[in-house]
Order: sequence, then C-alpha cells, then structure tokens
Amino acid sequence: MIAKVAPNRTALGCRIFSWYSLCALVAAAPFLTFEAAHAAGTLAGTDIQNIASATYETPSGPVTIDSNTVVIKVDELLDVTTISSDPGDVLTSPGTSGNILTYRVSNTGNGSEAFALTANVSNGGDDFDPTFQQIAIDTNSNGVYDAGIDDIYVAGTNDPVLNPDQSVNVFVITSTPAGPANGDRANVSLLAVAVTGSGAPGTSFAGAGQGGGDAVVGTTGADSTASGFLAVQATTLTLVKSATILDPFGGNRPVPGSVVTYSLVATVSGSGLLNNLVITDPIPSGSQYQAASITLEAASLTDAVDADAGNYNGTRISVAAGNVPAGQTRTVTFKVTIP
Amino acid sequence: MNNLLLKTLLGLAAVFSTVAAFAATPLQLSSDVFVEKTVVRADGRKSVVLEKPNIVTPGDNLVFVVSYKNVGNTTASDFVVTNPLPSAVLFNGTSDRLEVVSIDGGKSWGILGNLRVVKGDGTVRPALHSDVTHLKWNLNQPLTAGAGGKIIFRGIVK
Repeated sequence: MIAKVAPNRTALGCRIFSWYSLCALVAAAPFLTFEAAHAAGTLAGTDIQNIASATYETPSGPVTIDSNTVVIKVDELLDVTTISSDPGDVLTSPGTSGNILTYRVSNTGNGSEAFALTANVSNGGDDFDPTFQQIAIDTNSNGVYDAGIDDIYVAGTNDPVLNPDQSVNVFVITSTPAGPANGDRANVSLLAVAVTGSGAPGTSFAGAGQGGGDAVVGTTGADSTASGFLAVQATTLTLVKSATILDPFGGNRPVPGSVVTYSLVATVSGSGLLNNLVITDPIPSGSQYQAASITLEAASLTDAVDADAGNYNGTRISVAAGNVPAGQTRTVTFKVTIP
Repeated sequence: MNNLLLKTLLGLAAVFSTVAAFAATPLQLSSDVFVEKTVVRADGRKSVVLEKPNIVTPGDNLVFVVSYKNVGNTTASDFVVTNPLPSAVLFNGTSDRLEVVSIDGGKSWGILGNLRVVKGDGTVRPALHSDVTHLKWNLNQPLTAGAGGKIIFRGIVK
C-alpha cells in the first residue's frame, strides 16, 4: 500500500485510490515520438490529444477498452522582446545625417506573428531630439545597415513576420541637428507591437490565433520598447598667432633686414576628430615671405603645391594639417623679412 | 470551490455515463481535461479555478481526469489504466502518487524516483517529470458491478 499524501491545490482525487493498492502488471502501450520543444513553447494551433486505455480481466477473458479522445488546441501566445544591439552610445556630430541605431526584435510567443514598428526620437530625459529619417529591416541579416539592400520599413506594408523564437535586426536612421554640444545624448527608442493585438497580459482575441485558436496576450503585453543612444562628439578649434623678431644686430627690433617668425598654434578641444584642418595666413603687407620657411610641427615644407602639406602662392601660406583628434595641437611657422 | 469542482466533475461523469458503451464491454472509460486559471476575486485575493480548456497557452497547468465505471453486471479484475502523455504536455505529478510511469514510450515501467536516464556521455541521472512518456495505474482490487472512480493527473503545456 502506498501512503497517501497531502491534497493538492485542486483538492481532487486524493481519495480516489483509497480502495486500491499497487501491484505490478505490464500492459502494452503505443510509443509516442516527441517533437523538439520550442523555447517559446508548443506551437500555436497544436492539438493536444489525450486518450486513456484500460485492460481488465472478466470471466470470459481479458478486455481492452479506449476512452474518448479529448482534443484541446493550444492557443497563440502573443509575446515580443525588443533590445538595443548597440554596445554603447553611437557617436554623431552636429549636422550629421544617417546615424544608425540597431535593435533586435524577437518573437517570444508560440505562433508566427507580424510586428508593427515605431521609432520615437522625442523621448524625455535626454539632451536633444534627432530628426527621424527611416526604419530599415536587416534583410540580409548581417547586422549592418546596407543602403539599397536592406528594406525600408513601411508600417502596415512590410511589418516583419517572425516565427516563434525568430528575431530580426531593425535599424533606426536619424540625423543630428546643428545645435547639440559636445557630450549631448539623445534617446531613440523602437517599439514593436504584435499586429494581432496587445494590451494587458491575458487579453484574448477570439479566433485570431495561428492555427485556428484564440490569441492571448502574454507577459510582455505583446509590445516591447528598447532605447538606443546617440552621443554628440563636437570639436572646437582655437588658433593663436604669435611673432618673434630677429634683427640684423642680434636684437628683436623691427628694422629693415629683420626676420619675423610667425607661429600659428591650432588647438582642438572637445571630443572626437576635427577633419581636414587647413591653416592659412596672408603675408603681412610691407613684408616679404622668406622662401621655403614653412614648417608644420617643426618639419619643413616646400612652397610648391605638391605632395607635402604646405604651399605659398605669392600672397599667403597654407598648410593642410589633416584630421586632428581632440586634445591635440598643430603648430605652423613661417618667416618673413622686413625690407 | 472544491464542492463546485466536484459537482462539475460529477456532472461530467454523469454525461459520460450516458454515452453508450460497447454492448460487450461492461466497463466505461472516459477522459477529460481542465485548465487551471488564476482569477482575481473582487476582494483582490487570487484563487485558482478549473475551467474547460477554452484558452490554453504554453505554461498552463492542465488537470486530466480519467473516469471509469463498471456498468456491467460482472466483476472486472486486474484493472489497469494506461494514459500516454500527449507530446505537448509535461507531466506534473499526481496528488496520490499511485501511478507507475514509463520514460521509454511504454516499454518499461516503474515509480519515477526509481527510474534512471542514461545520458549521451554514458553517465546516469535520475528520471525527471520531463522524461515521462506514459502513465499507468494498476488497481488490484476487483471492480464490482456498478463501482467506478476517477484518476487524476496534472500536466503543463510545453
């Protein structure tokens, strides 16, 4: 005799076997094959069929009977999860277009489902609002936005349809206005909503589920939002010019024959990179440019327009200092003589 | 709630007992499934109720009820009930633990705690609820004319 145990929550069946005890008998039973279980659970529309069979002895011999078959259909659970795929802030700069923020939308329900996507560039609590350009679907699933290859999302037209456990990368493309300062951040969020319906968990939509059953909102509410962030990197440039004079007598007076060395120091501050810094300076009237006197970071440059960064065109010197990271300086010098 | 539940089940049993059985079979066997739903009552307390399975989603708790009754006029002995577990259902135990289970599609049987699963690397682990493929109840008392009962087990929709 097997000891009886405490009743369960439904308080059913505790007494059912009180008349019986257990013995060892073997009965044949059909073999069942098991489907691979999804993380999202049994596929919507699957029928759960239960049938019991019994064997017993009668005076006229053994008998086997089957019960009725109970069939219940698994309904569709509507669930979605959106996450930001960017490892950190995506860098931008004032006036830049084509900022790409990447998200991943996953169908965590148990049926094939379409999801409507909405981007919000006007979230509170951040420093600026970028301008929305478009949403793109990572058609070739490489995680990188490929203009012309990845489909541009049009709500209601190409809502991504995801199977249970399937995910898709979504890009939200924005532009940065001219105003934001270095370090300003913008919150850009992506909302994915099950097209069949969303709302409070447990809300059901009769007959709307895959496979003919109902659709039921799961724990995610069948909608999910994730935020990605843009961070502005802005540089500021200051240019300081100074002059030193060497007169023919070893002093520093501006007399005929004196050589004036001008020094231009460009300082890049802020963060990021200043692109294509070009420093130019006209030769002061009443002075003569001293040939081949241009230097950049103490390295001599020729006067001709050629492979090196500097040139003199008869009225001004010009030095292309290239891309300069914030925090660095570039120093250009040139010399003139006082006639 | 329990009384209501019992009445519901008894009512269902009455329905089943009106279903004509094979003339030669003095025993009736019927199967039914209920789903447990948590409802929030007016006073804010939650209670678990059994419902007909109108809406069933993964993770739901199911209660399977197998009713049997000897409707003949002779005694049946060595009464054995077998219930293959539907593939989308994870066995979640019984309240009385009088069942024996199979984890190999009904080839061999035992009490769950005594069964072992050989893993791919040759090591052995105890069988779990998730391994169960079939359930069986052996009732070694004769089922006299007019006698009957119910078997109840629980499952979770995978």
